[in-house]
Amino acid sequence: MFDFTVLTNNWPLLWDGLLMTLYFTVITILAGLAIGLIVGLIQLSTFRPLVLVGQLYVEFFRNIPLLVTLLWVYYAFPIFAGINVTKFWAGFIGLSCYVGSFYAEILRAGVQSIDQGQTDAATAIGMSYSQRMRRIILPQAFRRMIPPLAGQSIIQMKNTTLLSMITVPDLLYQASYISSFTYRPMEVYTAVGAIFLIILVPLTYLARKLEKSGMMSK
Amino acid sequence: MTGNPISPRPDGANARQVLQLERICLDFAAKRVLHGVDLKVAEGEVVVLIGASGSGKTSLLRCINLLNSPTSGRIVIDGETIFDRQAGGGREIAKQEVNRIRAKTGMVFQQFNLFPHMTALQNVMEGPVTVKKQPAGAARDKAMQLLKAMGLEQHGDKLPRQLSGGQQQRVAIARAMAMQPKVMLFDEPTSALDPELVGEVMKAMVELAKSGMTMVIVTHELGFAFEIADRIVFLDQGLIAEEGPPHKILLHPTHERLKSFVGRFHESADMLRPFLEAMHADQA
Repeated sequence: MFDFTVLTNNWPLLWDGLLMTLYFTVITILAGLAIGLIVGLIQLSTFRPLVLVGQLYVEFFRNIPLLVTLLWVYYAFPIFAGINVTKFWAGFIGLSCYVGSFYAEILRAGVQSIDQGQTDAATAIGMSYSQRMRRIILPQAFRRMIPPLAGQSIIQMKNTTLLSMITVPDLLYQASYISSFTYRPMEVYTAVGAIFLIILVPLTYLARKLEKSGMMSK
Repeated sequence: MTGNPISPRPDGANARQVLQLERICLDFAAKRVLHGVDLKVAEGEVVVLIGASGSGKTSLLRCINLLNSPTSGRIVIDGETIFDRQAGGGREIAKQEVNRIRAKTGMVFQQFNLFPHMTALQNVMEGPVTVKKQPAGAARDKAMQLLKAMGLEQHGDKLPRQLSGGQQQRVAIARAMAMQPKVMLFDEPTSALDPELVGEVMKAMVELAKSGMTMVIVTHELGFAFEIADRIVFLDQGLIAEEGPPHKILLHPTHERLKSFVGRFHESADMLRPFLEAMHADQA
């Protein structure tokens, strides 16, 4: 009952979709890390209004469903702002802002988990705020942040499938396209699931190993 | 009246003041912790702060290098004002200046607070290299010397978690000394140690005192205070209740609360008392 010729015949389409998925995964994780670093540090500042701005950002993007964010950026924002936004930019902005809010929380929690005594000791030898962060706090915090960062990044790859809803030709979009003219959704969507499994199972396993070694270094 | 058995303290009247605290007040939330403390420490002097928990001794120590920012008062370290805030006066001191002057104090913490991601040697080098921008080679040589002085030359490449509590605390002393401070601050340096490790840290501190280092020490070990201090300051409810040379404070206290506070010291020291007083008579 399986007819896998639909896959072999349309492999280039799937391959393009996979590349698009990987491409968006990588660039939105990188942009998200930059956003997360900035927003996280803003939340850790001692200037109250700035902290509020950071919190507002995080709560905003964490609590609106990603699909709604994507649809809003692609369909509503251009009308709202009177400018044209391509689907690639809409996807990039939506996914990056979304994952950035989670990264910011991971950074904030990681830094706040470092004992106050470390800040005291670094301050006592005359270090400035930026020296303390760079040399003492962040190196320790990053070690503790690796497991949750890895976990969130794996979720991010799965979340890229929502791009298909704004017609970005990712893996899922290509699969829908193939099934629309071959009428073989079973083979096509099975293949999509299998591709995600093949890529993400080893990464999940790696993340779990990092988590264990991270716990041991404490 | 007495010469000091340990530190080569210059004549009290002529000695230069390394540290001046004037009318230090400190509030935590709505609670006043320090009620206007005045304290001067001369070059080479060893001052021990004692008092019940909650008396403000650790808070006062942390005010000296502004880990606690006082509500009001003035702090002068080595002739430079690091903090000045008065009702209707005072001035803001720039953060950079604060960091620079702060580095003239070295601090040793109850929980050691070594940087866990750095080796013992890197811990000691961190201040000179990052803050003072010294070349790594020179800083490494100096750090090795300091570790050697602390009896840790074998342990430079070990991480803090590979060291005993006593060794960690001695690394912490070396780390503070690496900044060539004018005054060393000790916040209950032996309270977190196993009893058998207390001695090695005390010994290192006595050596430091002998070398002429100016020191302010918060401790519960009254026997150690008796041995190392030039002057003992008794804090009670955020104020200096009584101060003076160790024999006066610990053997002839006048303040009621101090009497009951040193009571437990006397109980254990009663047997030694005739000996201690004879020693004091000898010096006088």
